[in-house]
Amino acid sequence: MTDSKYFTTTKKGEIFELKSELNSDKKEKKKEAVKKVIASMTVGKDVSALFPDVVNCMQTDNLELKKLVYLYLMNYAKSQPDMAIMAVNTFVKDCEDPNPLIRALAVRTMGCIRVDKITEYLCEPLRKCLKDEDPYVRKTAAICVAKLHDINASMVEDQGFLDQLKELLSDSNPMPLMELNAATMNKLLTALNECTEWGQVFILDALSQFSPKDEREAQSICERITPRLAHANAAVVLSAVKCLMKFMELMVSDSEFVKNLTKKLAPPLVTLLSSEPEVQYVALRNINLIVQKRPELLKHEMKVFFVKYNDPIYVKLEKLDIMIRLASEANIVQVLSELKEYATEVDVDFVRKAVRAIGRCAIKVETSAERCVSTLLDLIQTKVNYVVQEAIVVIKDIFRKYPNKYESIISTLCENLDTLDEPEARASMIWIIGEYAERIDNADELLESFLEGFHDENTQVQLQLLTAIVKLFLKRPTDTQELVQQVLSLATQDSDNPDLRDRGFIYWRLLSTDPGAAKEVVLAEKPLIAEETDLIEPTLLDELICHIASLASVYHKPPSAFVEGRTGLRRALPKSSGGSDNETAGEQQQQQQQQQPTVIPNQDSLIPDLLNMDINAPPVVPAAQPAFSGGTLDLLGGGLDSLLGVGGAEVGGAPAPGIPPVAASSTAGLLGDIFGIASSSAPVYSPPKQVLLPANRGKGMEITGTFTRKAGAVSMDMTIHNKAMQPITGFAIQLNKNSFGITPASPLNVPAPLAPNQSIDVSLALTTSGPVQRMDPLTNLQVAIKNSVDVFYFATVMPMHIFFSEDGAMDKRVFLSTWKDIPSQNEVQFNIENVNLTADGISNKLQSSNIFTIAKRNVEGQDMLYQSIKLTNGIWVLTELKVQPGNTTIVLSLKSRATDVAQGIFEAFDGILHS
Amino acid sequence: MGALLSYFRGLIGSREMRILILGLDGAGKTTILYRLQVGEVVTTIPTIGFNVEQVTYKNLRFQVWDLGGQTSIRPYWRCYYSNTDAIIYVVDSADRDRIGISKQELVSMLEEDELKSAILAVLANKQDMEGAMTVAEVHSALGLDALKTRTFQIFKTSAIKGEGLDQAMDWLANALATRK
Repeated sequence: MTDSKYFTTTKKGEIFELKSELNSDKKEKKKEAVKKVIASMTVGKDVSALFPDVVNCMQTDNLELKKLVYLYLMNYAKSQPDMAIMAVNTFVKDCEDPNPLIRALAVRTMGCIRVDKITEYLCEPLRKCLKDEDPYVRKTAAICVAKLHDINASMVEDQGFLDQLKELLSDSNPMPLMELNAATMNKLLTALNECTEWGQVFILDALSQFSPKDEREAQSICERITPRLAHANAAVVLSAVKCLMKFMELMVSDSEFVKNLTKKLAPPLVTLLSSEPEVQYVALRNINLIVQKRPELLKHEMKVFFVKYNDPIYVKLEKLDIMIRLASEANIVQVLSELKEYATEVDVDFVRKAVRAIGRCAIKVETSAERCVSTLLDLIQTKVNYVVQEAIVVIKDIFRKYPNKYESIISTLCENLDTLDEPEARASMIWIIGEYAERIDNADELLESFLEGFHDENTQVQLQLLTAIVKLFLKRPTDTQELVQQVLSLATQDSDNPDLRDRGFIYWRLLSTDPGAAKEVVLAEKPLIAEETDLIEPTLLDELICHIASLASVYHKPPSAFVEGRTGLRRALPKSSGGSDNETAGEQQQQQQQQQPTVIPNQDSLIPDLLNMDINAPPVVPAAQPAFSGGTLDLLGGGLDSLLGVGGAEVGGAPAPGIPPVAASSTAGLLGDIFGIASSSAPVYSPPKQVLLPANRGKGMEITGTFTRKAGAVSMDMTIHNKAMQPITGFAIQLNKNSFGITPASPLNVPAPLAPNQSIDVSLALTTSGPVQRMDPLTNLQVAIKNSVDVFYFATVMPMHIFFSEDGAMDKRVFLSTWKDIPSQNEVQFNIENVNLTADGISNKLQSSNIFTIAKRNVEGQDMLYQSIKLTNGIWVLTELKVQPGNTTIVLSLKSRATDVAQGIFEAFDGILHS
Repeated sequence: MGALLSYFRGLIGSREMRILILGLDGAGKTTILYRLQVGEVVTTIPTIGFNVEQVTYKNLRFQVWDLGGQTSIRPYWRCYYSNTDAIIYVVDSADRDRIGISKQELVSMLEEDELKSAILAVLANKQDMEGAMTVAEVHSALGLDALKTRTFQIFKTSAIKGEGLDQAMDWLANALATRK
């Protein structure tokens, strides 16, 4: 029993000394000792032997000592799990301490002690702290619940902590803030002056979610927030900026007040740029947003965004971005001279971006274009490889923006042909040559020189080369016939790249059938490129403005994109009240942007050309339309369908071929479809989309759709295509009562207005809990869709398989007795033709659609499969499949107490087995 | 030598006496501790761990450690033995079933080297309950007759009513003051 003597006799060494000091009467000495212990612990010495002695120091009224002991406990409780129990009572006591700091400290430490044996003792104090009157303690307790959940999830549930957390949520939810009335508002504003800086950040965040009832109120709030702009803490400043940006939306944009406010906003933002680089970066990312929303705000502050030689690269790049956005006629001279200087720096990335920026300036500020071009030419003269390449890429864009203006420089460009080794630069150069082939005497030679290494080129360059040579041929048909044949054969016969091959074929066919049409297509007038190519989409921008001073504004992504499980409200800028003029102006701007899809100058700038071809080839469409898209092909099925749908409709609806913008926007949709569908994992059967509402009945809105059942959830997947001339908004859907009680589980969610010629894929979750009314045919579904234009009604037939529930596997014996019980006149027989599957293949396929094969028998060489299906409304259907080897027709016998489902079931089988 | 020491100790008069309150769970240790400290009956919950309080009685200052009595905690009592001046051993007089266990714990505790010189006060607590054992019964049930060398005394107490505690503390104070 007295093993302790072994420990007490070793009265030497540090540990022993510490031990006696810990047991000292003097508080000061004790504290010193604990500090020594903690120090040893931090440097990695094992002081766990002192556990009991340290724990004995725990009950003290000295906060410092207590904190130290807690620190020790967190570290060593795990190595002394049994002994840790001695600390429990102290936790219990500390959780009732009158000092909230101690209560919170105790709760926090408790959560950090990951010892199973004592967690159960800690539940009671934790429960108390969750109801603590002090919010800080409640907060800490809530976090502790999360930690506890990590240690022992079931205990958290058993003890009802989850419910308590939910209660907490309801009290600290920002929701009540939305309905802030003037009184609490005032309190918050007063509190603002008294809070610590981080408290101010939270209050400002809450304030930004408040919606003032009128302009006056917004103004008075703004006035009281404005002093925060002078705060030393960057977070406070940015939060204040957020509030002001938001409330400014509510005011008439050219009022005196807004002008004043704008003036006040600029200096603090500028000040932020003199802090350390990390803060600068965050500030710049936010400023980037602000400048996009209100360019006038910082228009006089260009100089602060000039890059300093010692800025880190990430700050430099961000500053460049903002410089371009701020560039205007007034300051372009300055900007250009700066940019020119940057272009001679050493950092390759930065130089590239600077050169690119010069090009962007040329496109943005028309009057400066000439100056920009001459600057670029100067840069090309430097012969620095990457500068030249980058310059050529941007000059291509300048040519597109100002056709027939600066072609005199082409000769200079051609001189540098040999130095180009990057695909993008080569492609750009080739594009320039092709585009201005008639002015370059030796264009054919130049292109021919490229052609020699055709197969070693990047796809981008190959495509460009093909197109350029075709252009050249159309412009100078006499002496380039050989060249064009060469490139066409290279592209179509020797290349593995489908894009290249297809484009080659299209050109070939065009040229051989109707050179006139080819000319019209290939040399068509190109849409002008827009000024700003990388603007953030307006709705996203508005949302991001509401998240200034948070991670979202640094990532330029909405919080939902990177915070898992965040279901918080999407924040939106308030609708401006400054009269309808403002509003429509904004909308128009938006429309313009969407109506003329900006051709971003990159490798697929020629896709419009290509898509003209698609429209010209209607006969392919019906031939390729599959009855059911097959198994693995399913991945492409959706994509193909919508491609064909779009293509076909285009031909019918728009007889005049060659409207590049249309084609451009639908490619995006198509690609989206393919990727969207390819990413879904299991091959769940879903019939191809059918046209539910043709465009001529939907006043320009066309809806195609289908139904799927995946993991027990039924959804109606629709593609809404806007073929009208104006954007459509305000989508809502309603389903009439139907035989299976199908009803929307959530409202139809079409986030942004659907711009003309765009389509969107929406999935409407459905449940079967709605009111039931028998329809004829049984699976008939009447739908009403509302949008900003009108209300539209249509009916469709739901495929039966979406009602097959997941628990439809019947016990064998039950199956047998049920089969016998159902009278034989209820048995219906169908033949399913052309099924090339083995019995196992069939049952696998059916299984994925919740048709459960529960028995299999082999009778005289025939495979008999028995299946059970349970419909969501509780009806059981029993089936028997007769499969004969070598015979592609299988016989389906079907028994159910409700025979009217038989036809639908047969169609489902037919569809699934042919999918 | 010892007399001299105690003489100095008396002069300074400030050294805190270290007292342990031990006993089985539910004997009333925590209640006694707070009765001594604040003079009231407080509501207690089972002590998982320990309580330590400063108690002043007749100008003597005690540091009183109340250790939990649960089976799982008893092994850790020994961590608190060193430098202990006195032990208050609390027995639930109404719990005849576990008086045997209580005896075993007491005996094994008294065997410890570190407690050789500690003074023992046994409190036969819960005398207010009906059917409680008398002091004599507790005395024999704990086998206190076998204690030869130890300074000890047994008291009947009721922590709830506050009876007997003063006598026990008086004796303890005296015994500690006159200790060799």
